[in-house]
Amino acid sequence: MIIEMSKLRILGPRERLEDVLRVLQDLSLLHLSPPEAVPLAHPELSPGQERESRHLRDALANVEQALSALAVPENGSAVPGAATPTDLARWARLAWRTRRETDRLAAQGAALEEEKALIMKYQHFFSAFRALLESESRWPNAQAYHVLLRGREAGNLPQLRASLAAVIGEEFQLFSQPLPTGELAVLIVVSAQAAGRVERLLAEARVQEIPVPEAYGGKSLTAAIPRMLERLGTIPREVEAIRQRRQALARAHGAELRRARAALHDRLQSLAALPLSGVTTRAFVLEGWVPARARRDLERGLHGSFGDDVVVSEIAKEEWESEQAPVVLANPRLFRPFETVVSLMPLPRYGSIDPTPFVAVFFPAFFGLMVGDVGYGLILAALGLVLHARSKPGTTLRNVSEIIGPCAMFSIIAGFLFGELFGDLGQHWLGLRPLLFDRAEALVPFLLLAVAIGAVHVVLGLILGVVSARRHPRQALGRGVSAAMVVLVIVGLLAAIGVLPRGFFTPIVIALLVGFPALIVLEGLVAPIEFLATLGNILSYARIMALGVASVMMAVVANKMVGAIGSVTVGILFALLFHLVNFAIAAFTPTIHALRLHYVEFFGKFFSPGGVRYQPFGHWTRVNARPRVPPTPRHPRQAA
Amino acid sequence: MNPVLVAFAAALAVAIPALATAWAQSRIGPAISASMAEKPELSTTAILLVAIPETMVILGFVVAVVILVRT
Repeated sequence: MIIEMSKLRILGPRERLEDVLRVLQDLSLLHLSPPEAVPLAHPELSPGQERESRHLRDALANVEQALSALAVPENGSAVPGAATPTDLARWARLAWRTRRETDRLAAQGAALEEEKALIMKYQHFFSAFRALLESESRWPNAQAYHVLLRGREAGNLPQLRASLAAVIGEEFQLFSQPLPTGELAVLIVVSAQAAGRVERLLAEARVQEIPVPEAYGGKSLTAAIPRMLERLGTIPREVEAIRQRRQALARAHGAELRRARAALHDRLQSLAALPLSGVTTRAFVLEGWVPARARRDLERGLHGSFGDDVVVSEIAKEEWESEQAPVVLANPRLFRPFETVVSLMPLPRYGSIDPTPFVAVFFPAFFGLMVGDVGYGLILAALGLVLHARSKPGTTLRNVSEIIGPCAMFSIIAGFLFGELFGDLGQHWLGLRPLLFDRAEALVPFLLLAVAIGAVHVVLGLILGVVSARRHPRQALGRGVSAAMVVLVIVGLLAAIGVLPRGFFTPIVIALLVGFPALIVLEGLVAPIEFLATLGNILSYARIMALGVASVMMAVVANKMVGAIGSVTVGILFALLFHLVNFAIAAFTPTIHALRLHYVEFFGKFFSPGGVRYQPFGHWTRVNARPRVPPTPRHPRQAA
Repeated sequence: MNPVLVAFAAALAVAIPALATAWAQSRIGPAISASMAEKPELSTTAILLVAIPETMVILGFVVAVVILVRT
């Protein structure tokens, strides 16, 4: 559900504005908005505050960069105490120094990685030329050329030898060594006098010579290779030294930098909050929303700090539009994980319907009907338990693990209804019999069940649409007529095929003929198209049957592999592999289609997106966590 | 009715929408992936857009089942 909000106005003497903001930041309850009702000046930041804001942003950027470079683990629970200007200045200096150091280490690391990559590029040549280089060393006054012939060029080696002989006669030696990559490493050793002619020949033939990196000295690869190999041995030690230096920095400054980040964020937020107030020469006005249940807490907090100097009053609901109010979803513990599913869509508007409870019921049910296997359900439950154990409370992963639980439970229940345990294995081994019907055989009953569930879901969506449009009677009436006509069509079809008494058919057709013009009058000319689209939406639930049948068929095929392939062991392995693939598909595809059925078919009937998230003005760590909503206050007598 | 023709009709009822779905997804997939690279918040839209054409093949499958069951 979307919890009720109150809009408050806070009045006080202008000189107390910053103190009030500080207390409000500690309370973390008020979602600030600029005062609108009365024409007031909005205080701008002074030049000094502007300068401070710029410096704090720079410092924050340094802190974020340093924390990221040092891979300091997050620790979002601590709320920093009030930071003095001296603290902020000290943290800004620390951030700058640490960032400079981490940047230097990063540059060093990158240079080492680059150097290592360069040496590794020569790795193949080392092994290929090692044998050849011994030949090079026997020619002290000779010039050596290291050439790589790629692909088809490797076949031109005899031609190269012939060309060299034609240009410089017998004053050369040519050695070759094939590389694992299919290329051919060639060493040409010539006398110093013939070097010029050989270079011209190689240039004309466009044969690429392997350059010797200058950093390793000398023109000869003979001299460079040992140095490069030696360097390859020392690079990991230097990389390790950089890593240790980073760890030392993280140990020394990590906690301090985290505190600095929170404090810098807090100060920046308090500066950003100033222009959200309205001021006169003597007074200030602040406006914003709090959850109605938390109103008293805020009033008590301000009264405790400022007494009667600061006045809090509630702005009547008639004075604000519900679209402006921020939204907090608050659902029972069992439904709360499904807020993750709803949060994939834009937030619902304040005053509209929160679909979370409905998603919490129907999403696992659809999922279970599609998977419908005791074995897969048990594996899913185990997976959910592992995820639950390995995730932290409040994280998306924890929510996902808590969604998996009901999905697995519904899969197991549906598995018993359809008599499936790893396909038909349960029937053969354990004598498991379907309590409802066998999905693999009873295709039409399963299709009817899926469409019937779709009809219930879509009609429920239409009814919720009527409820959410209660403030607009014409729209609500139109949606109501549409819902009634969908029900009439379903009842009419059941009467036509004899499930319901045939006498129902004629009155229903008459009712539909009357309903259509009424629908057009209420909803316009698009109403008939929307009505047909709604019937199409109901048919869309046939996917529950289609995916369910596909799932069971895959499982049956997996089981048949044991007998179909000659060796039993190979058959079992194939069957396990096929079940694994089927399980992966069964976990993924039903999720996508259950989501789609909710987002398109169900939400389309009533969901009003566009809500503003409730973000109370508070400390950085708190604002990023789930908004804190105090429990419903008890009756004064109970409290006493 | 000739069972071969019935089977062929059922196969066509699945195959043609399957090709249509594949074609639609082949166009939607790259487009939405490119959009997500710039705006990761479009992931929900991506799921919906990729899942929407699958309705064709699913309904084709249902039609095929009806063809096979009714004859």
